[in-house]
Amino acid sequence: MLGAAACLAGLAGCATFSETIQSTEASLARHQPGAALAAYEKRSSASADRVLDLMNKGMLQRMVGDFDRSTRTLEEAKGLTDELRALSLREQSLSFAINDASKSFIGEDFEQVMVHTYIALNYLEQGQLDPARVEALQIDLLLREKAQRAPDSPYVEDAFARYLTGIIYEDQREWSDAMIAYRKAYEAYQKQLERFGVAIPETLKHDLVRLADRMGLAEEAAGYRKAFGISTTPSEEGLLERGEIILTVHAGLAPIKREQAITVLNPATGRFLRLALPQYRPRGQPLAYARVSAGSQSATTSRVENIDAIAVKSLESEMPAITARAIARMAIKDAAARAASSSDNRSLGGPIAGLAINIAATLAERADTRSWFTLPGEIHLARLSLPPGEYKLRIDLYGRGEGVLDSSELRVALRSGEKKYVSRHWVPNNLEVRP
Amino acid sequence: MIRVVPLRTGLALLALIAAAGCATKVERLDESKAVDLSGAWNDTDSRLVSEEMIRDSLSRAWLQEFRGRPGQTRPAVIVGEVRNMSHEHINVATFTLEMERALINSGKVDFVATKDERKGVREERKDQDLNARGDTRNPMGRELGADFMLTGTINTIVDPSGDTQVRFYQVNMTLISLADNRKVWVGQKDIRKLVTRSKLRF
Repeated sequence: MLGAAACLAGLAGCATFSETIQSTEASLARHQPGAALAAYEKRSSASADRVLDLMNKGMLQRMVGDFDRSTRTLEEAKGLTDELRALSLREQSLSFAINDASKSFIGEDFEQVMVHTYIALNYLEQGQLDPARVEALQIDLLLREKAQRAPDSPYVEDAFARYLTGIIYEDQREWSDAMIAYRKAYEAYQKQLERFGVAIPETLKHDLVRLADRMGLAEEAAGYRKAFGISTTPSEEGLLERGEIILTVHAGLAPIKREQAITVLNPATGRFLRLALPQYRPRGQPLAYARVSAGSQSATTSRVENIDAIAVKSLESEMPAITARAIARMAIKDAAARAASSSDNRSLGGPIAGLAINIAATLAERADTRSWFTLPGEIHLARLSLPPGEYKLRIDLYGRGEGVLDSSELRVALRSGEKKYVSRHWVPNNLEVRP
Repeated sequence: MIRVVPLRTGLALLALIAAAGCATKVERLDESKAVDLSGAWNDTDSRLVSEEMIRDSLSRAWLQEFRGRPGQTRPAVIVGEVRNMSHEHINVATFTLEMERALINSGKVDFVATKDERKGVREERKDQDLNARGDTRNPMGRELGADFMLTGTINTIVDPSGDTQVRFYQVNMTLISLADNRKVWVGQKDIRKLVTRSKLRF
């Protein structure tokens, strides 16, 4: 009995996930993704966290600029998620005996879609359009499947993922697919405005008008023009004579789950009871917008995804189930301790075993605080159409108080009809990091 | 003391069992044996498609017609782009190479090097021009121009429902005459798969 109790305590470990990533977070706040990656790779992790580790590593590799490795890592996460989706009875029973964090992590729905989104962005930034299109199709498949499985969940559509697939199809000159994806993105932005607080991006408005014109959908185009108050927008043909810069800014970090726990001594039984639940602590998102400029021409980003809000709402919708499991677990653990203490009343062994099990079970009761914390809090996007040529691009990030948070420059060469995808990851210095 | 020995033996046995469980196991498979693990595009699909394409392309009229032209014996073909328009990351190189190999070995078709390969060959020829002995030198400007270009696409339609999916792959290959853009041959191979995901795991 004692051995079993010790085993239980040993298995569970004593730190929650969010307590093991401080040095990674601190390096990110110092704008050192390389050091963050090294710190993350150094921490020991459980086999149940494989997918989570791959997601975080893939994102950090991307931040360092190693797109190839990032794609491979995220691709591995994707394959493993697929395998782990099947129900494991062993893990289910383990999660009732220990805690939710003993189950294999496969990520929330939005995290799974984000894996595809970031692989697609990796390919796009490397100028590989066809593999990016593969991801676009997979995103479509995944979202369709999710809508079938849980049509009432707060997150059934990913507006930005849809928008990105539209951009990919448009770049492939597949106008009708692009039109459909833009429409779906538009619908999703409208539907989720209240929930996630992301307005329809300015660029998408122009994209809808342009594509509707290109497809010869005069009525639809007129409808968009009226709804968005757009009088003129470059035609598809006009756009193709020029090149285009598509900038994504990945700002801040996704909220992190913290543990909220209460431990009480039940005076009636003399045993401890503990309930530990996860709770998101949103981090501040200081970026207001970014501006990309090439000489006198410039474009301003719109916010296209609010991962901060999506994460919080997703957890909220799952809280009833998580709480129910935690309460059931508390009852099971208490019953086990009671059974142990009353199993052998002739000697002292029974009560001691009961106490040991009670303590071990209480210590093991930790909240599942695992989440893809290296995801950005928000994604912003801008499209800048330029005549063919060589440019020195300047990217300025503006804070909520209009001050410039960060500036950077890069050189790009554009051919006519070519789209170049560039991105910028930025984490604020004053990131809330636990001491 | 007597009691300790069986314990040790037991531990040793346990360790042995554990070690055996961890050892990597390799089993050689026959190339033609179909093994489907995840349901994704694999070597079997690649082989089936290339076999069908080769058989079909060599038995069609374009080859006879080309041979019938005065002074022509074997058409020269170049592999253009085979685009993956499917929902899976597929290595198209494997079956284009397989097709190329089978067509060359059939003796009915010549293949010329692709754009990237030609670059390397030209560099070598340039180098020969400077450094090789006169009688072994291969002069520039005597390359064989291709008569036809082979291009293709892989498309998929996926119909998912819960844990079950029907995956439909369609591979299209086209042979285009470089002289006049005429499509002389279009080959098509369809593959349909029913993939059922496991509901339970260990």
